[in-house]
Order: sequence, then structure tokens, then C-alpha cells
Amino acid sequence: MSLTRLLAIAGFVLAVLAVLAVEWAARRPSSRIPTLGDVSALVMRYDVGGIPVGRLAILSFWFWLGWHFLAR
Amino acid sequence: MEQRPELTVEPVSPWARAQVMLPVFVPFALLGGLLPSFSLAANLYVLALGGGLLLAGMSSRLPRRAAPVTLLPGVAWWLVPVAVFVVVEVITFGMGSTHDYPTLSLLADPLLDGYLVRSMAYFGWLAGFWGLVRR
Repeated sequence: MSLTRLLAIAGFVLAVLAVLAVEWAARRPSSRIPTLGDVSALVMRYDVGGIPVGRLAILSFWFWLGWHFLAR
Repeated sequence: MEQRPELTVEPVSPWARAQVMLPVFVPFALLGGLLPSFSLAANLYVLALGGGLLLAGMSSRLPRRAAPVTLLPGVAWWLVPVAVFVVVEVITFGMGSTHDYPTLSLLADPLLDGYLVRSMAYFGWLAGFWGLVRR
């Protein structure tokens, strides 16, 4: 395995571990870090002229994610 | 002690609870695991499930969980995993997404060829989608 491939894999693993660490920190009592769900919820409440742009963006992104990894 | 702003509890229909909906996704995930990538069936299946959940999410009929009014000041911590992922993905994508510079998609494809991992990925995708629909 090449060094660059190993570094790339390590980078993605690090990103996943960082998500888990921040979420864990957010769920601790009296934490000042919002959970990922809270961040998503606030973004999803973002409207422009009555159009739920944030909601559409987050749901569309998740839709695309499924299509990208599971169908395409 | 500081109170989180999202502690308001909304009444939830029994069928909208995760304990009810998550088992419903299991047969869908097991069926989806049978459909190989790049097949017409997989495309139609994902489009049907995703389209249905997208419409459900955009509808105002489903009950939604209370959202926080403002975010806590530590929200910037979420930039750490995002930054790590973006840096690695941009570099590997820029280098052509090859064996030596694999993007996440390239790494995930062989894993998703297996039925069990593929079914679990379907379940995770559906469960995550439902979680977002309820937000």
C-alpha cells in the first residue's frame, strides 16, 4: 500500500473519529457544543421568502448521498 | 446549570416514533442490499425511497421535533471534522481519485459490494433520512 493511500485512509478515519468525539462532547451534561442533530435542525429552519431553503438543501444532500453510494 | 434551548417536548404520533419506523426500514434495507450498484433497479429503488422521504420531509403533515432557537457557542467545533474531511477529499479528488489517491467513494465501493455492508448502509441512510424528516 502506498504512503499516499495510507494517508488518505487515515484522514477519512480521522474525520469520522472527530465526528464521534465532537458528538460525544456535545452530549455531555452542560456541554456548550450543540449536537449534530441540533445543528442540522437549525439549518433546516432557514427560510428565504417563505421557501424552506435549508430544509430542502439538507434533505436533498442526504438524498444525493444515498444515490451516490448505493445506486450510481 | 445552563438550560438547552430545545427542551420543549412536542406530542408525537405513535407511528412517527423511531421505535416504530426503524423496524419498518429493515426489510427495505435487506431488499436494497440485493441490488448492485450502477443497476437500473438500484437507481429506481433509491429514487423511489429517497423521493418518498424527501416529499415526506418537505410536507408539513409529519410531526417535527423542536429545534433550538440559537446554537450553543461551541458550534465551531464541528468545523474540525468537516475541515479534515474536505482537505482529504479535495486533495484526493484533485489528484484524480486513483488507487494511490482514493476519494471516499473509491474506498467505499468495494466495501459496498458485500450484501451485509450494503444492507447496513441502506439502513443507515434510511434511518438518517427519517431522522432528518422529523427535524
